[in-house]
Amino acid sequence: MRGGFRQSMAWLHTWSGLLVGWVLFAVFLTGTVSYFRPEISLWMRPELHAARDAPEAAENVLRRMQTLAPNSANWIVTLPSARDPVARVFWRDSSAGGSRFRRAILDPATGEDLPARDTLGGDFFYTFHYQLHHVPVLWARWIISFCAMFMLVAILSGIVTHRRIFADFFTFRPRKGQRSWLDGHAVAAMLALPYHLMITYTGIVTLMLMTMPWGVQLAFKGNNQAFTAAVFGLERPPPRSGQAVPLAPIGPMLAEASHHWGGAQPGRITVNNPGDATATVQVFRVDDDRLSVNRQLVTFNGVTGAMISASGGDRPAAETRGVMVGLHRGVFGGGVMRALFFLSGLMGTVMVATGTILWAVKQRQKLGARAGYGTRLVEVLNVAAIGGLPIAMAAYLWANRLLPVAMAQRAEWEVHVFFIAWGVAALHPLLRSHRRAWMEQLGLGALLLLLLPALNAATTHSHLGVTLPAGQWALAGVDLVALALGTALGFAARQVGRAPAEPQRARRAGHRTSPAPAE
Amino acid sequence: MIPLALALAYAGFTALCLAMERHYGEVFGLRRVPAWRALALRITGWALLALSLPSCVVAREWAMGVVLWCGVLSAAVLPLVLLLPYAPRLAAWLAPALPPIAALLLTLGAR
Repeated sequence: MRGGFRQSMAWLHTWSGLLVGWVLFAVFLTGTVSYFRPEISLWMRPELHAARDAPEAAENVLRRMQTLAPNSANWIVTLPSARDPVARVFWRDSSAGGSRFRRAILDPATGEDLPARDTLGGDFFYTFHYQLHHVPVLWARWIISFCAMFMLVAILSGIVTHRRIFADFFTFRPRKGQRSWLDGHAVAAMLALPYHLMITYTGIVTLMLMTMPWGVQLAFKGNNQAFTAAVFGLERPPPRSGQAVPLAPIGPMLAEASHHWGGAQPGRITVNNPGDATATVQVFRVDDDRLSVNRQLVTFNGVTGAMISASGGDRPAAETRGVMVGLHRGVFGGGVMRALFFLSGLMGTVMVATGTILWAVKQRQKLGARAGYGTRLVEVLNVAAIGGLPIAMAAYLWANRLLPVAMAQRAEWEVHVFFIAWGVAALHPLLRSHRRAWMEQLGLGALLLLLLPALNAATTHSHLGVTLPAGQWALAGVDLVALALGTALGFAARQVGRAPAEPQRARRAGHRTSPAPAE
Repeated sequence: MIPLALALAYAGFTALCLAMERHYGEVFGLRRVPAWRALALRITGWALLALSLPSCVVAREWAMGVVLWCGVLSAAVLPLVLLLPYAPRLAAWLAPALPPIAALLLTLGAR
C-alpha cells in the first residue's frame, strides 16, 4: 500500500477484480444472454414454434382456467406478446407438492394446453446470473451481491488507475503480448463504461431489499406484507366466501385498464378467488413500453367488473427503483435496444475475462518458470471459467435437442449436462499444458456453437432455412448469435495456436515457458 | 433513425481519433497533425457525437433515447477501435461514407 494514491488504487483494482473475477465472468455472460431470455426459452421449446397470438387470448385462457383450476386461490396469467406468442399460466394448488403452484402453457387461439418438452429454457441462465444453482438461494444472492460490490470497487478504482483514459481511448495494439491484454482490458472497459457502471450499480439495487433490509424493518416493524402492499400495491386477497358467482367478462376490464394507462397494453392478469363472490381481478401493465418496471396495476371487482383501484407509477422512491431495475433488465425499447445492451454486456464479459487473464500473463512475464502455485491456480481457473462456461452453456442447448422428449426429470437433466460439461472443463486444464488447454476448450466451445444451427436443423422444423425466410427473428436470432459467438471463440482458439511465433517476445524469451493465449 | 445515429457517432469518434497524433499517423503516415486541422477535427467530432443524440431521441423519445444514445456510442466506437490496427485507412474512409448511406436508407425507408 506504499507509493501514493494511484498505486494503492491499482492494488485495490487488481485484488477486488481478481478475487471475484470468475464469478463475475459467469454472472456477466449468463446475464448478457438473459437479455434474450424469452427468445432462448422459445427456441428451447420447438413444440411452441407454430403457436400464434390471437385477439381473444385472455377470454380463451380464462375460460380454460375455469376447468383447469376452478377452486384455486388465484390464477396468474401472462398474456402472449410479440416476444412470446403463448399464454403462460400458473395457479395455487394445495395438492401440488413443494412449490404449491402448478403451471401450464396455453394456446392463445383455443385456450387448450400446449404440451412442450420439460425444460427451464432461458430461465436457467437468468436465475443463474443472480442466484447460481445448487446453492441455497439466499446464500447465492449474498455471494452475487458481494461480488457485484467488489465489481463496483474494481470499476471505480480502475478508472483512477487508468492514467491515460483520453490519450489511449482509441488504442488497441494487437499481437504485443501483455500490452495487448492491457489494451483489450482498457478498451472493453472504457468504450462501454456507462453501461458497466449502470449494470453493476443497478444490479446491486435489484437485491437491495435483501442486503439492506433495515429501512423496511424499521418502518413496517418487520411486516413484509404491509410493505409490499404499501409499495407495490399488492394487497392480500380476502378469504373465499363460499358463494359461487361466475367471473365477469375480462374484455371490458382489459379495455378499461388500457384506457387508464393512456393506451398501454395489459401484460398480466391475476384473478383472486375465481368463481367466488369475493373475486377480484388485477390487470398489470406490460413493462416493456417504458424504462421503469415498477408495477402498474388496475384492480377490478371480479363479479361486477367495476374498477376498484389503480396503483403504481406515482411514488417517487418506488419509481426510482423501478427505473433502475428497468435499466438493469433492459426489456424496453425493442430489439435494437436489446442488441445494444447485449453488445455492451459482451464487452463487460470481455473486460472481466481480459482482466483475470492479464493478471496471469503479467505474473508469467515477471516470474516465468519461477511463478508459483498461485499463478498456476489462476491460469487453471481462467481456462475453467472463460473456456469452460461457453462449453457448458452450449452443452445445455445441445442437451435440449438431444435428450429424449419423454425423459423423466428432463429439465433437471439438461441442467446436469450443463454442470457435468463445466466440471469436465474445470478438470481438463489440470491435465494439459496451459496453452493446449486454452486451444482445446476455445476450440470445443466454437465447435459446439457453430454446429448448433446444424443440430437444430437436424432435430426440428424451425431451422434457419425456415425461420429466416419467414422472418421469425426470435428463433433465427438464437442460431445466428450462436454462429457469431462460435466464430469469435474459433478466432480466439486460432490466435492462441499461433501465439509463440510472435517475435516481439524475443527479449524475454529466456523467461517464458508458458505462453499467453490469444495474443 | 438508429443506423443514422450509429453512423454519426462513428464519424464523430473517427474525427476525434484523427485529431490525435498517434492515430493521425496510423492513417496518413505523418506523425504531425497541423494544429488548425486538429482543431477542426475536434470540433467536427464533438458536433457529430452531439448530432447523434437527437437521432436517438427521435427514434425512442427522451427517456429511452438517452439510454439508446449510450448504447449507440459504445457500439459505434468498438468497430473503429478494432479496425484501426488492421485497416486504418478503411476505418478512416468509412467515417465520411457511412452517414450519407444511413441518411439515404432513412429516406428510402420513409417513402
